[in-house]
This record gives sequence, structure tokens and C-alpha cells, in this order.
Amino acid sequence: MADPMADVWLVIPVYNEAPVIAAVLTHALQTFPNIVCVDDGSRDGSTDQILTTGAHLVRHPVNLGQGAAVQTGVEYARRIPEAQYFVTFDADGQHQVDDVLRMVNRLRTEPLDIVVGTRFRGDVTHIPKLKRVVLKTAVKLSPRGRRLGLTDSHNGLRAFSRTVAMGLDITSNGMGHAPEIVEMIDEKGWRVAEEPVTILYTDYSMAKGQSLLNGVNIVFDSAVRRNRR
Amino acid sequence: MTVIKILLIVAVITLVMLLLRSHGTTRGGAFVKIGMVVFLVFAAYAVVRPEDVTWVAGLLGVGRGTDLVLYAMVVGFGFFAISTYLRFKELELKYARLARAMALNEADNREQRSTGTNPNNRPA
Repeated sequence: MADPMADVWLVIPVYNEAPVIAAVLTHALQTFPNIVCVDDGSRDGSTDQILTTGAHLVRHPVNLGQGAAVQTGVEYARRIPEAQYFVTFDADGQHQVDDVLRMVNRLRTEPLDIVVGTRFRGDVTHIPKLKRVVLKTAVKLSPRGRRLGLTDSHNGLRAFSRTVAMGLDITSNGMGHAPEIVEMIDEKGWRVAEEPVTILYTDYSMAKGQSLLNGVNIVFDSAVRRNRR
Repeated sequence: MTVIKILLIVAVITLVMLLLRSHGTTRGGAFVKIGMVVFLVFAAYAVVRPEDVTWVAGLLGVGRGTDLVLYAMVVGFGFFAISTYLRFKELELKYARLARAMALNEADNREQRSTGTNPNNRPA
């Protein structure tokens, strides 16, 4: 058990990703031995694909949404005493293993609780134009994110320590979990930093990406949640 | 500004505050019930004595009793919409937690069956 990444757990929410999930997992498992996939009620054989790999599998009995799947995966992994670092990673192959390695390394060497990936440091030309505008707007709308120095709060690639994993309690089941995590960082005083990452926009991931109209849902739900605290 | 405008605006703000602050608590639930009873009594009274409603409307600066009822309906519907939305959010969260507990349990059982040991060193 001399694997240097034995204390790292990748949490991958999966929803109807059968065409790509096995390849993504096989590749990631070469670096990270511990991966838990949370199947969010897929109907396309994603679970069979996951079971052909060495990844752990948790199956939601019904579709709950990405936020709920992330929470389930973290709750699964945080019960394992050896797990010290947790990474949320996408199932569609748009995240890079090398980026994760750098983020985990920062957690190990710097006084940080959570490292969030950002698409907006360095070259941004690979991001589709409309997506860039919407994401920038989302950042401008979040005073909290600005205060914390976050330039890309909707980036799904995050690495965090055990402290954060134990404190994580995502209540928005859908895509609203991104601003909710920013709120938690702020309220619990977790030390946060950003790491530039590359997102591979393939045709596959673009077709699956969340609808921009969904931004309305996210903004509305955040507003209500904030007022009820 | 007529009296009715002030009253309606205050009513809307109060309802929103009430919902956002105390929804889901016993107090919030009690207020909802009181509100419902008041609304029903008012509805019955308005049917029996519509001229009284017109009289109240005149006092408040609204032209006709029907207008007063309409305004009250708008506020009541807004209240209903917000409280239903929040209730659904709460239910959704409970439902997610239930499904999560089931999912984790099922995963533990499956891994225990396949490896013969419990991967998490905890009783299943």
C-alpha cells in the first residue's frame, strides 16, 4: 500500500454516461485507486459500465440531481478513515487527471481547505463564447464569490480536505449546488484557492452540458436559500 | 396613496417575511391555520352580506367590494404559491436524504457480498 494517492477519493456523479464512463474511469484509475461513482438513476446501462471497472458504485434509486449525487459520493467516501482528500470530478471526460494532481498537491503542501478549478485564469479561447459570457455573468452576480476571489464558481472540479468533506451538506439537489458550496466556504471560513484547469469541450460534453436557461433556476433558488438562513 | 394600497403592500411584505422566517416551524404552521380560518370566515361573510364588503371597501379607499375581494385574492394566491414552493423544496430535501441513505446501504451490502468483508469497517 505504498500508493501515494491512496488517501485521495474521486467523487464522480454519473447520469446517463454509458458511452464514455468506462473509458474515463479506466484512465482516472491509473492515477487514483479510489473512485466512487454515484449513479443518479441512469437508464442507459451506465451502472453496468461502471461495474466493469474497479470503481466503487453507489446507486440512487431515483434521479435526484447532480448536487445530491455529489453529496452522496462525499458521504460514502468520508466514512473511510484513510480518505483525506476528496475531489469532485465529471463523468464525461472534460476534466483532466493532471489538473487533479496539481490541486491535491496544493492541498498537501499549502494551508488550504479547498481548491476550486477555474477556467478564467490564462487562456480562455477554448471556452465556447456564449458559455463564457454566461459564466462571467454568474460570477458578477455573486458578491460572495468576488470577495473570496473566485472567478469560476460553477466549475465542477474541486479538491478539498477532510474538514470540508465532513462539513459538506449540500441541500440543492440540482445544479444550484455550485453557489451553495461558495456560500458554505464563506460561512464556515474554509481557506480557499483557485487553480487554473483545462476543460475539454468535446461534442459529447457540449451536448450534455446544462442548459443556459437553467441559470434562472440557480439564481432563484440561491436567493430563496440565502433569505431563509 | 390610498389606505388600501398601503395595507396591501404591508400585507404582501408581512406574508413574505413570515414565510421566509418561520416556515416549517410550529409557529409558522399556526399562523397559516389562523390565516386560513380568517379567510374562510371572510369568504362566508362576503357571500351573505356583500353590501358590508362594499362598505369596508369604501372605508379603505377601494371603489367596490368585488375589487377588495380581488385584491385579497391576489395576496392570498401569492401566499399560497410561496408556501407551496417552500414546502416542495423541503420535501425534495427529505426525499433526497432518504434516497441517499438507501443508496449507501445498498452499496455497502453489495460490496460486502462481493468481497466478503465490509469495506468501511462499520456494521452494515
